[in-house]
Amino acid sequence: MKIFDPHVHMTSRTTDDYEAMAAAGILAIVEPAFWLGQPRTQVGSFIDYFNSLVGWERFRASQFGIRHFCTIGLNPKESNNPKLTEDVLQLMPRYLDKESVVAIGEVGFDDQTDAEEASLLRQLEMAREFELPVLIHTPHRDKKRGTIRSIEAVRKAQFPEERVLIDHNNEETLPVVLESRCWAGHTIYPHTKMDEQRMAVLVNKYGSDRIIVNSAADWGISDPLKVPKTIDAMRAAGIADAVIQKIVWDNPVAFFSQSGKLDVADLDVRPAIDRTQQFETNSVLRGERR
Amino acid sequence: MTTQRFRTVLLPIVSARTANVDAWFEAAQPSDIDAFCATYTSAARKIGRGALSLTEIEHGRLQVLVRDVVFDRWTVADAARALLLLTAAESIDADAFQALATACLDRGDAREQESWMRSVPLLPAAERFLPLVIDACRTNVVPLFEAIACDNPYPAEHFPDRNFNQLVLKALFNNIPIARIVGLRRRMNAELSRMASDYAAERRAAGRPVPADIGLAS
Repeated sequence: MKIFDPHVHMTSRTTDDYEAMAAAGILAIVEPAFWLGQPRTQVGSFIDYFNSLVGWERFRASQFGIRHFCTIGLNPKESNNPKLTEDVLQLMPRYLDKESVVAIGEVGFDDQTDAEEASLLRQLEMAREFELPVLIHTPHRDKKRGTIRSIEAVRKAQFPEERVLIDHNNEETLPVVLESRCWAGHTIYPHTKMDEQRMAVLVNKYGSDRIIVNSAADWGISDPLKVPKTIDAMRAAGIADAVIQKIVWDNPVAFFSQSGKLDVADLDVRPAIDRTQQFETNSVLRGERR
Repeated sequence: MTTQRFRTVLLPIVSARTANVDAWFEAAQPSDIDAFCATYTSAARKIGRGALSLTEIEHGRLQVLVRDVVFDRWTVADAARALLLLTAAESIDADAFQALATACLDRGDAREQESWMRSVPLLPAAERFLPLVIDACRTNVVPLFEAIACDNPYPAEHFPDRNFNQLVLKALFNNIPIARIVGLRRRMNAELSRMASDYAAERRAAGRPVPADIGLAS
């Protein structure tokens, strides 16, 4: 089974995670830009963060045979800081044409403020200009309403719905997303959001069209092996391998291919690992070289 | 006027718990932001990080001035930092005080920010700090969020409905007993009831327990 985890924050994870992910069959990942748990106070922090997403982290993944792509964006929480929002939105175009940037995201709603909506609309405009898909985060609180508002924003911007992935769905929001033409992401978490068994139930009920699953592993309680574990749960629930393959590979590949930056023919070939390589004189090795 | 009264009540409370108050205060020149913030930080080390544990008489004196603040979880450093800000507020003009208090918050670690949020309802013209308090609610640091959401009259007093409702939902989401939200009953509104019942429906659909106290918000 070929596995693509379309949402995982590897910057917050260890090399043990990379090794386990590769061993579990994960070939490619997308790391969305998000907030770091601690609010950033200046644009320089974003410059360094975005540089690391298209630089060091991509290299680090390659050292474990995993293809690393990312999304660039200003997350909803930090969109409530007006000065920062202005600076970051002006900074973003510098990154959007980079070869590993396959979408704008995570954008969307958190507290569902006017500032968050304005930031979302401006980033939809940018996605139109740079011909990129958009990854939309849905809020923890008042989630269904936030999901509806996200779709309304996409329509208000007259942005093509098929280029939008609405993430972190649950039983209440999935039918809402499927009524639109947007794609529906599901984050499989140990305690919150969605779990493996509930995901299998949803697939049995709604099928596999436009359905995507991810681990969204980050600095919180999360598990970078949740996509492989969900494959097991779907098999146990009697879902056919072809259907599962569509959910964990074909769908995310089809969605992010809309960026024009996925080399689909090569994507399922595990890249060769060359650990003698270095990134700006840094290697992931620690004195193990001979 | 009220600022001075708070200070008059708090000073003996803090002094009774440490011998160092006078020397500590000397270093805090409100005209020097760096020195002032350093003093604000040093409260834990110099004055004490233990529980404030008010006596009944002390508690009574504070209650006369501010009825809705619950001091049960305050530390000695919380009280000392509040005292520091109140003292500065009396000696410099409003704009300078706003800049100084904002610097203490911006430069603070999570504990200093908790102290700041606990004291904000005591500060003069506290409404000017509303954007800072709303923004701080976005934190993932649960004790800091609690310092705003719980035992503190500030949100019920100053937050617009939209922000107040988000605060209540975030407390439910984090399993914080919402009985600790001061003024919740007074601030109930139809939108909050709708949000709470949507949250209960979402939890049920996921096969997860619904917070036992969700009825307080619906």
